[in-house]
Amino acid sequence: MLDLILCVDDDPITLMLCKKVIQKSLLSKEIITAQNGEEALEYFKNLNDLKSQNTAVNLPQLVFLDLNMPVMGGWEFLDEFNTTHYKHVNTIKIVVLSSTVDPDDLEKANTYPMVLDFLPKPITTSMLKYVTSKVTIAK
Amino acid sequence: MKNKSNQITAIYLLIAIFAAIIFHKISLIYSKTTTYPIVNFIKDVTLVLITGLTYRFILVKNDNRNLSFFEKLKRTNDKIRESNEKYDIVAKATSDTIWDWQIQQDQLIWNKGIKSMFGYDENQIGNSSKWWFDNIHPEDSIKMSIKLYSFIEQKTENWQDEYRFKCSDNSYKYVLDRGFLLKDENGKPTRMIGAIQDITKRKEEELRLKLLETVILQTKDSIVISEADFNKNKLPKIIYVNPAFSTITGYKASEVIGESPDLLKGINTDPINIQKIVDTIKNREESVFEMICYKKNNEEFWLSFSMIPIYNADKELSHWISIQRDITNDKKQEKEKEQLINELTITNKDLKQFSYITSHNLRAPLSNLTGLLNLVEDIEIEDLELKEIIHGFSQSTHLLNDTINDLTRVMLIKDKPSIQREEVVLKDVFKKIYKITTATEGQKPLVVLDTEQAPVLYINKPYIESILQNLLSNSIKYRSTDKELKISIKSFHSNNSTYIVFEDNGIGIDLKRNKDKIFGLYQKFHNQPNSKGLGLYLVKSQVEAMEGSINVTSTVNIGTTFTITFKNK
Repeated sequence: MLDLILCVDDDPITLMLCKKVIQKSLLSKEIITAQNGEEALEYFKNLNDLKSQNTAVNLPQLVFLDLNMPVMGGWEFLDEFNTTHYKHVNTIKIVVLSSTVDPDDLEKANTYPMVLDFLPKPITTSMLKYVTSKVTIAK
Repeated sequence: MKNKSNQITAIYLLIAIFAAIIFHKISLIYSKTTTYPIVNFIKDVTLVLITGLTYRFILVKNDNRNLSFFEKLKRTNDKIRESNEKYDIVAKATSDTIWDWQIQQDQLIWNKGIKSMFGYDENQIGNSSKWWFDNIHPEDSIKMSIKLYSFIEQKTENWQDEYRFKCSDNSYKYVLDRGFLLKDENGKPTRMIGAIQDITKRKEEELRLKLLETVILQTKDSIVISEADFNKNKLPKIIYVNPAFSTITGYKASEVIGESPDLLKGINTDPINIQKIVDTIKNREESVFEMICYKKNNEEFWLSFSMIPIYNADKELSHWISIQRDITNDKKQEKEKEQLINELTITNKDLKQFSYITSHNLRAPLSNLTGLLNLVEDIEIEDLELKEIIHGFSQSTHLLNDTINDLTRVMLIKDKPSIQREEVVLKDVFKKIYKITTATEGQKPLVVLDTEQAPVLYINKPYIESILQNLLSNSIKYRSTDKELKISIKSFHSNNSTYIVFEDNGIGIDLKRNKDKIFGLYQKFHNQPNSKGLGLYLVKSQVEAMEGSINVTSTVNIGTTFTITFKNK
């Protein structure tokens, strides 16, 4: 069981569904959310600063990321997160969770080193089982 | 000769009688009877001698005269023979056919030319003018004979005419016939001699040139011929324009011949094009141009023209030929087309964007619905009515989800012309989709799979999976209620193509009514509750995306056969 998971999505129902499914599958003790890429970046920026000062921080072990969001979308977030500004935190595994079916998106997602997988919505318990196994291997 | 002999004999007789009379007189005077025999004998001998000598003298004289006469005759003969030989040589040397017409007797003699030129053997040639006239082409005959007889009437000396003369093989040759008239002392025409020249080649060349000329005169393209070199600092002088040039530009031929084509230039003529023309002339190249020109009335128009350098036999540049066309309308249409394409491209892009967004915006809440339903499934519901409602809710949500998934897939197929191909084992693919499809449809039909002739296809795997899945689920959905469903799938190569034939014994489709619609979007042919009318549209899109084609034959209550064809490259 993981300690902390971050879900990034602009749709409150999706976030609610994520929470429910994650709770149900007992994947994580704690779930936090962000409404868009910018909010998520803000969160990671703080953690990065703290970590650079060698302060002990509670890092999320997994991020579920939506692609289409207002203010800052998933791609933009990944581009930013992939830079050295976030070098202390950007080893965190990210699962892209999207309703897109374009195979180009899948290919694009695989170019980011921190992206663990690209999964179609909706989130399901069987999907989480699969992700858990992958996270364990990645560790 | 006979006269001569008589003459000589007469002279001899006269001399002999004269001598005999003189001797008789002398003998009367001097003769004595005693010496009579001797005197008589002497007299006879003398008479014979005198007449004999005289006779010899006459004969020698006559012989000399004969000799000189014979010499003269021989000389004349030689001359005639020589002249005849000369005539023969000339007649042979000239390719002309010579005829000789005795007008009064109407006798016409031909020389050997009638054989060499027209192929007539001696026994085929008539000996009167009728034969001559009969062999003249019917269209030329009347005109020719009128001219000929009026010439004979007028008694002028030289006559010539052109007509077609029939050969022995019934073809006609164009000839030029020239003759002169001989008259007797009363000025009456007696004889006519003529020479026929074969001018077929020249005439045919004339006709050919005339035909070619009609092209230049009748064509709607303007043709301009100009000199080889620049006219001082202007383009080379025009030496010929055809009527189409006047039609296009409004300039008469007389107004432009001797001028430079510079007069077509105007404000909006691109100077770069003018420079290119100058370069073309300098480099003696062949070129094509399109540029704005001006008519005589100053009207602007687009002219497309070629420039072709023409070389003479000595390989020196002699002329420039330019073929020109008014392409103002084409230009206008081109512009309109371009504009239309631009507009369409934008609209298409907008629509694509729109459909992407729509599908995404639909999918996002729909996936939430599916997710929520998944959660509900795990909750035990006691209320039967609620359970029923939630079941219906779930069914509709899944159908909606499938539809949107299909639509999105179609969109992706249509949007991506290039797809990845790989070697696909048809049998494996079918086994996989059979498992999934029969599970969802709850039916396990009997399938005869024969892929031995073409076991491996080089195609897109997800597409062929989707195609087979759609065809299989269609067969299951539209199976006959009276008989067990049987499906046969066969793949084979033939005629440089690979075929997949998918056949079932289901309820079939009335193709007479639905032929055009069968592969259409949202076309349903049967009243099935969970049919979306999208399967075959998807199948067709995927087959076409792999550059294949699909055909269907079907008989109601017998079955349906789909044939997919991929052309081998």
